[in-house]
Amino acid sequence: MADPSARRQRLFIANRGEIALRIIRAAHELGVETVLGVSAADKDSPAAREAGRSVVLGPAASRDSYLNLDLVVHAAVSTGCTLLHPGYGFLSERADLAELCAAEGLAFVGPRPETVRAVGDKISAKAVAESARVPLTPGSGKLESVEHALQVAEGIGYPVITKASAGGGGRGMIVAYDADDLRRAFDEASTTAREAFGDDTLYLEAYVERARHLEVQLFGNGEGRAVHFGERDCSIQRRYQKMIEEAPAAILSDELRAGLRAAAIDLLASIDYLNAGTVEFLYDEPRQKFYFMEVNARIQVEHPVSEQISSHDLIKLQLGLAMGTMTLPEQATIGLEGHAIEARILAEDPDRNFMPCPGTITRWIPATGPGVRVDSAVQEGSTVPPYYDSMIAKLIVTGENRAEAVDRLSEALRRFEVRGIATNIPLLQAIVDHPDYRANAISTKWLEDVLLPAFQTEKAA
Amino acid sequence: MSENEEEALKDSNGNTPLPSDDLQAIVELFNASHWRELELEFQGTKLFLSKDSGASPQWAAAGATPAARSLAAPVAQAAPVALSSAAVASGPKLAEGQVVVNAPSLGTFYRSPKPGAASFTQIGDLVEPETELCLIEVMKLFTTLRAGVKGRLVSILVEDGVMVEHGQPLFVIDVNG
Repeated sequence: MADPSARRQRLFIANRGEIALRIIRAAHELGVETVLGVSAADKDSPAAREAGRSVVLGPAASRDSYLNLDLVVHAAVSTGCTLLHPGYGFLSERADLAELCAAEGLAFVGPRPETVRAVGDKISAKAVAESARVPLTPGSGKLESVEHALQVAEGIGYPVITKASAGGGGRGMIVAYDADDLRRAFDEASTTAREAFGDDTLYLEAYVERARHLEVQLFGNGEGRAVHFGERDCSIQRRYQKMIEEAPAAILSDELRAGLRAAAIDLLASIDYLNAGTVEFLYDEPRQKFYFMEVNARIQVEHPVSEQISSHDLIKLQLGLAMGTMTLPEQATIGLEGHAIEARILAEDPDRNFMPCPGTITRWIPATGPGVRVDSAVQEGSTVPPYYDSMIAKLIVTGENRAEAVDRLSEALRRFEVRGIATNIPLLQAIVDHPDYRANAISTKWLEDVLLPAFQTEKAA
Repeated sequence: MSENEEEALKDSNGNTPLPSDDLQAIVELFNASHWRELELEFQGTKLFLSKDSGASPQWAAAGATPAARSLAAPVAQAAPVALSSAAVASGPKLAEGQVVVNAPSLGTFYRSPKPGAASFTQIGDLVEPETELCLIEVMKLFTTLRAGVKGRLVSILVEDGVMVEHGQPLFVIDVNG
């Protein structure tokens, strides 16, 4: 694929772990040279070995290595790189990184700095969504009185939740299921808010009882055109951390699915979005409505499930767009087929309150077979350092439909063998084999409210 | 990493997260003490000091960290421990009493305070702990690197103006010089 007449391109990878390896391999397939910046703890990592060159930025601590913006850009410039890929996490959503790259003549593999800034701030992101007519969680401005609250609630529909203008931390937040509830809630929340924040101003929002986390994978050409690669359902979460993601979102009707994708496209097209991005929505299952949450201006951990159903390599597309060697595909050429699920394998012990378990992997036999993909940067003998995120691998399965994908994931988890460190594989197995998960009758609270208590009771017994 | 290199310390990843100033201080305290051995583990760094040249740390005996090797005797003569981080695979071979000054982070190495000016030091110079050896530049921000020990500058391992990596050996100082 490499065009020998093109300017020699050299990519700096400002990340570590599986995503660094994923980016290195995609670049090499495109004939792009790679330089990886590592911390001292990662200098013998598989990613460091596979990169064309690796340079040690600083000591193990992220703030002295991966999170040090100047160090990263200095390393990229000094090693003659022409492009920089930030991966996810670390510096990936720092507008000043994109700016510094531009100033140093490095092509940033991602959106423009002003885009990163506009969507990075929650309030300005909401304003962007609103002007693109993407639905936000229905709510009120400041409430003047109980009567005002009742009137607003009629418009939104019950249940609703009171929130304190001045506050946070859950104080002043009371759910009301009808008008009587709301009268009581209003008085109580006003008092709480006055006591806690010295300000009793309240506002009202629709309360989402059973929520799903849905998101649309998109790419923009930077000139007002955006395309989607389907949506993902990432509702299996613990403490807002995704654990299992799938594509497409099987819960949606065709009409809702089309509406969700169109809303996401409108949002990114309205800001001339460039390169990969994700628009996240909260899906209110009882009301069958979706509300804008945020835009992630980067590639995400769970991008492989979208790759699996679209047969597009999203990292290569990111690089191709950044180098100007590829153009954004037309929507009609992006066929979506089958069902893919990703399970995040973490070096955490679910039996010990998810304590991180760094250490040496003495046995590593990842699952293989048709429809099974493992994105990882560890192998037998690898040491999982204690300094970083605990994710050590992503197990991605693809089937013709959701049922086949779930069966495949269950089998793959059973065969996945890791020794030397504790992992969350037993918990993933329990999730996938649970009737609620198989029936897709879950919400963002399901893992914490339903599965974990049962899982822990069973372990104790 | 070289097999015959004396490695004062390293963690299981072969790096030295403790600042070398701290290590120097620990070694000085140990030398001044009546202790025969010191074994310390701190944030992934394992440090073993002994006044017995035949000693080896428990973790090396157990084979738990194959990379960790015993520190041979220099402390017995109260000389500073060679602070050779193994961050760069081909570290210089050191004679007894020689220590290496490593790069604290990645950056551009400058031997003089500004272009055209005289170098901070020359080979053969006597240096004090506070003597400035070079500048490390990261995006126009210059950090001064000091010798950290008293001795004679024996060699300069990198060219002026090149990019150096974290932990890369830059200077060798002979503390007996």
